[in-house]
Amino acid sequence: MSPKNLKVLGVYHVIFLVQNTMVGTGLLSAPQRLSVLGYSQVLMPIYFGIIATITLWPMVWICSQYKGDNLFRINELLLGKWMGKGINVLIVLHFTLLIAAIISNYMNLIQSTALPEQTTTVTILLVLLLLTYIVNGGIKTIARFCTLAFCLAIPMVYFLRWGIEKGDLSHIFPLFNFTSQEFFKAMQQGYLSILGYELIMFYFPYIIDQKKAFKHAMIGIWITISLVFITTVVSVMYYSEWQLEHVEFSVLHLFKAGEFSFVERIDIMGITFWVSLILTTAAAYLWSARKGLDSIRSKKNKYHVYFITAAIFGVIMLPVNREFQQKLFDASIYIEYIVILWPIFLCLIHLVRKKQVKSK
Amino acid sequence: MKIGRLVRATLSGTSQKKTTKIEHEEPTNELKDQVTERLENIRKQTSEIDDIMFKKIATDEGVVTVIYSNSLVEKMTIQTMVFIPLTNYIHQIHQVSDSIEDTDIQEITKKVITGQTILFFHKTFQLLSIDTYSAPTRSITNTEVESTVIGPQDAFTESLETNISLVKRRIKSPMLKNETFTIGTETDTKISVVYMDGIVNKDNLEVLKERIEKLDHPAYTDVTILKQLIEDNPLSPFPQYYLTVRPDTVSGYLHDGRIVVFMENSSAVMICPVTFLEMFMSVEDYYNRWTTASLLRMLRFFGFFLTITITPLYVSALTFHPEILPYELLLNLQESRAKVPFPPLFEVLFIELIIEVLREAGSRMPAKVGQTIGIVGGIVIGTAAVEAGLISNILVVLVATSALLSFLPPIFLVSNTSRFVRYIFIISAGLFGLFGQMIAFTWLMVHLLRIDSLGKPYMSPVIPRKATDLLNGIIRFPTKYLTKKSGISKSPKK
Repeated sequence: MSPKNLKVLGVYHVIFLVQNTMVGTGLLSAPQRLSVLGYSQVLMPIYFGIIATITLWPMVWICSQYKGDNLFRINELLLGKWMGKGINVLIVLHFTLLIAAIISNYMNLIQSTALPEQTTTVTILLVLLLLTYIVNGGIKTIARFCTLAFCLAIPMVYFLRWGIEKGDLSHIFPLFNFTSQEFFKAMQQGYLSILGYELIMFYFPYIIDQKKAFKHAMIGIWITISLVFITTVVSVMYYSEWQLEHVEFSVLHLFKAGEFSFVERIDIMGITFWVSLILTTAAAYLWSARKGLDSIRSKKNKYHVYFITAAIFGVIMLPVNREFQQKLFDASIYIEYIVILWPIFLCLIHLVRKKQVKSK
Repeated sequence: MKIGRLVRATLSGTSQKKTTKIEHEEPTNELKDQVTERLENIRKQTSEIDDIMFKKIATDEGVVTVIYSNSLVEKMTIQTMVFIPLTNYIHQIHQVSDSIEDTDIQEITKKVITGQTILFFHKTFQLLSIDTYSAPTRSITNTEVESTVIGPQDAFTESLETNISLVKRRIKSPMLKNETFTIGTETDTKISVVYMDGIVNKDNLEVLKERIEKLDHPAYTDVTILKQLIEDNPLSPFPQYYLTVRPDTVSGYLHDGRIVVFMENSSAVMICPVTFLEMFMSVEDYYNRWTTASLLRMLRFFGFFLTITITPLYVSALTFHPEILPYELLLNLQESRAKVPFPPLFEVLFIELIIEVLREAGSRMPAKVGQTIGIVGGIVIGTAAVEAGLISNILVVLVATSALLSFLPPIFLVSNTSRFVRYIFIISAGLFGLFGQMIAFTWLMVHLLRIDSLGKPYMSPVIPRKATDLLNGIIRFPTKYLTKKSGISKSPKK
């Protein structure tokens, strides 16, 4: 493929790709994950946004130094072939685990709310099939799907109305009633709600206007941050501190506050609709993982995506107890923090080895 | 001899200019044999085609054999164009005919079976051909499949020339081009690719021509066959090109830089590239006030999504999520299906299939019987099935509504698509409830996003290629704002 054809992502594609990969089940459980801070959690999403913006910068910078290459290739260039490939294998394994975590978490949620009388095996298979169908369409299809999913999902903000009506604004204050330990704990547990923007390192070569990519990605990040912020504020207004800590998917229950004469439990509709948001996130990760496998094996193969999907299915269906699986998934999410900080390390290496690498 | 006078009048202009007689050398015996053999060969080639006529006529230049097809050439035409000039003004025949240099018998036979008349001069051994194709055609009538209340009422016929003339009388511009191709190894079907030069996207045109040239399908009976063969995604249930029988629709799209394909013997024409949203646009939208037009467009567009979700929602609500229904509604529903012994999935499939049967039976029968069957079938089966406790009466209302909604799109192919897609939704709702429905919905969205129409994204307005596209989207803005060409047909920047 010529470099000209490679570049397919326009401005809107980048914005919504960044925005929608960040929205997953994390958003639904954000208030609970931040509950260590109690009512003072309101400003946390804003801090997350600032951190995300700061960490986005090295990602875009390192990618703009190697315009035609994604992170997998940059790893190989900067760390040497074998070490780079080694790191890439870890990233692909980690992504496999992460996608399994995303899908498994969501399917558990579905099982507990919408389909209590069914096992999840067939539904998981169905979701994975749909996932491969999306990924086979390429990054542009994923980006278009992100845009569409955003347009369809944004009216759900309206359902927060009742939360605001029934809530109490005075809950928000005081803003800074927490210790530094609590702050870091909330940080550690809550930051995963906005993970996903780091994938820009993998689809950066496909962006048409790479010079403005940072700006566009930032717009995407702040759209998500404002959504998380709104939901956090409304949750704080609506719930008691005890509820914040113990209600698992508190945002879902906010939807329930609504009263219509023709339909009850809109939350079930909301949660089933959420599958499209889950699929955008999972599809972007799966696409990146496939690129990783392509790069590790140094050749393109359409079966790579099926291979990874099968691995994901295997991980979800692993015959281990639920606690261990959950630990595994949590670990995969914490590893993602390393992936976010990884480009800073790469930037340092790049500065040291710049001349060596360029001369290659 | 009224006809004779008529012909004399039309030909007199040329007859005065040229009266020199063409001198021919006396043919050799060898040549004579060759030509006799050729004639014999033509006879052999057309031996079992009984409508091919061989007529010997004595003229001033000796005997001439006239070969023509009785069914493709009207009696009046052969009379005025060939027989009368042959016997009265033979020199004029040379001016209106083409000389055949090619001695290939196959080619000559082909000319005859495509409606040309071959003149064979026994004395000079000349072969001439005159285009006398005048097969009877249907006259231009009102459209029955895409009728509108406002706007022109004429529709395309099965004649390629008539159809192109219907468009050319609307767009009087030298920019309007029509390129002819012949496709079908067995049918030799003529198609015409029509576009506005200077407005059309050349890339689109190249892609289309390339696809047409690659075709090797033997037979074409309608443009829909061609359409399926050159579509971007032939496996998809969605039509990717627009199909219409209305010349005003065609000229509207031509102005917007689209490409239109006409085919002989096909009353429908194909327009490409188009977007999914345009499948819900009728040309009448532009004749109506913008308010009415916008309302109707919204109705058609959302109607499509309603028709594929109403009955599946019934299935999933009653099978998996009775809790999403308010108490009164749930009570009402349960009461109405108290006698029904089947699970909701089978109940819905049963009644949907009955609707399909009624629809299919109604469309295949003669009009008068069809109506009766429709009414009797609808009322008798509907009412009786409810009373017998096979289905609930609320479901009858839902199914009837969704059947009506499925007829809203102006293109019948989209209506058929909605029927097919609805079954996918019903089954997934029956298996996994609302979640299954959402999975099916996501599949539908991704599928629509993955389809291309002539290499252009099918879901264009979702990610607008141009901001002005939104002015002519689900809402049609007042006509004075609709001056820009749409993004899908935009020529690439030079």
